[in-house]
Amino acid sequence: MSPVAIALTGISVLLVLLAFRIPVAFAMFLVGFIGVWSLNGLNAAMGLLASESFTLASNPELIVIPLFILMGNVASVTGMSRRLYEAAYAIVGQVRGGLAAATVIGCGGFAALSGSSVASALTMGKVSLAEMDRFNYDPRLSTGVVAAGGTLGILIPPSTGFVIYAILSEQSIGRLFMAGVIPGILLLCMFIVTIWILCLFRPEMGPPGPATSLAEKTRAVVDALPIIILTLLTIGGIYGGFFSPVEAAGVGAGAVILMGFAMRKLSLRQLWQASRDSIVTTAAVMLILIAAHIFNPFLALSHIPDFVEEVITGQGLGPMGTLIIILVIYMVLGAFLEGFAMLVLTLPIFVPIMNSMGVDLIWFGVLVVLTLEMGLISPPVGINVFIVKSVAPKVPLGTIFRGVMPFWFAMLVTLAILVAVPQLSLFLPSQMMQ
Amino acid sequence: MLARLRAVTDRLIGLSAWLGTAALLFLVLTVLVDVIGRAFGHPLYGSQDMTTMAFVVVTFGGMALCDQTGGHIAVDLFERHFPPRLNHLIDIVVDLLGGVLFLGIAYAVWKASALSMMLNLRTNLLGLPQAWFQWILVALSLITGLALLLRAAEFIISGQSRHQMEHPE
Repeated sequence: MSPVAIALTGISVLLVLLAFRIPVAFAMFLVGFIGVWSLNGLNAAMGLLASESFTLASNPELIVIPLFILMGNVASVTGMSRRLYEAAYAIVGQVRGGLAAATVIGCGGFAALSGSSVASALTMGKVSLAEMDRFNYDPRLSTGVVAAGGTLGILIPPSTGFVIYAILSEQSIGRLFMAGVIPGILLLCMFIVTIWILCLFRPEMGPPGPATSLAEKTRAVVDALPIIILTLLTIGGIYGGFFSPVEAAGVGAGAVILMGFAMRKLSLRQLWQASRDSIVTTAAVMLILIAAHIFNPFLALSHIPDFVEEVITGQGLGPMGTLIIILVIYMVLGAFLEGFAMLVLTLPIFVPIMNSMGVDLIWFGVLVVLTLEMGLISPPVGINVFIVKSVAPKVPLGTIFRGVMPFWFAMLVTLAILVAVPQLSLFLPSQMMQ
Repeated sequence: MLARLRAVTDRLIGLSAWLGTAALLFLVLTVLVDVIGRAFGHPLYGSQDMTTMAFVVVTFGGMALCDQTGGHIAVDLFERHFPPRLNHLIDIVVDLLGGVLFLGIAYAVWKASALSMMLNLRTNLLGLPQAWFQWILVALSLITGLALLLRAAEFIISGQSRHQMEHPE
């Protein structure tokens, strides 16, 4: 059996295992380990298992994962996300569709505190859905906007998606974080434009909320100011070269905890529980990453990336054509596979192809993460839709999926803009302090 | 016998989660003190050694709890279309596979730690022996592996699937 045939068999077995509900990490471990064993012997496989388990678990760059997860969890527990929403609510709530726009802005703000889309959708859903319901918002708009807005968590830094991409493609985490800022803001604006268009043609979908006085607006913004400053401190600190991503994550998490105590919104018990939740999420992400580092050498040893590259370049599509094909593949896969699983399974194959074609891997990372976001709201396994369903149990799943479709198309338009104008992703990283 | 084993295992899972949680808070504190100290010209000596080794405890301290709370990512698209007996069988296979996997990690890292001892591998600044942290990883992996194997045994003996055990009504 040739190495390529062994790899294709391994990938087929992996897909079967995934279909049979075997956890992604376990399946990748099994196939990767047996694959390396068959190609390079048992000693090589055991050596890989030992070295990758310890090396990944003590990789200084990956420390950002638990720290940013903790920062998001504490921000959620202390109600800081509510303050962001309330500030946006006070400013734009009184216009048609304003509460939905406030939700998107709140999601964007929370995304800058947390690297998780699921956390963003869950937290903002709890805060905003009842309010939109109170003002008779169409459930398609209210649930759709929370599910879609939550996806901003993975594009606006800090983003767990970027950290995983950075590790698997050997790119700088800090530069990827910066690359996500303008696309994240662009997508947030596209969501607001989508709400505006929906309410323009169907005004009953988003009735205006209550008008607020200037004093109320000012108070709401002042209340949210510490969180805005914290966000600027962490992201700005990375941009300005004051902090490494790990330091920014540590300062961010520490500052959120201190603010929580200072505002008397955080008890020691809550901090402990938030930390406990954070290590569970960290373990799930880290096990997948370790498994990917067992599986990827198997693919490399089998020369499958070279094989796929030959097949794709043989079509004569050029870099842009190949890039578009890959993005379409991601959109299709994203409808069925969990985002991180999709990243770790595909990047070892696609990154070398893009690299050999001279495509900027930071730009490619932004595009991949955006398509991963689209998968979060695509049927049948759009995880954010299920999260919103858990917060709004009375709204049928079909209604939520119909509600997210306009936002899915907004993402598609954003993706097209980012493909056409790479500088939107690459400008900030190119200006970063080294 | 099984109930006693379950009680002991749950305590071990709680202990590993406690260690992981404490290590995470230690991580935050260390980075914070280092950054503030650096601003005043006194960075924390050996902070990277401390954070990287604490990260080992954070990562593997959460593994058993992650499994216990169903935190590992799986594609459950077809689950409701499978007959109950197949879902039951899958539960057993997942736990057996996971158990073997974590015992495999423990064994491989244990062997690697012997090499670390022989070569006297230490962290860069504080000179902490790498083997200490490999042993912690081994212990935490053993707890996770044993918890998974125990649950596989429970599935086999009870004849119930994970869903039935979590929702007895």
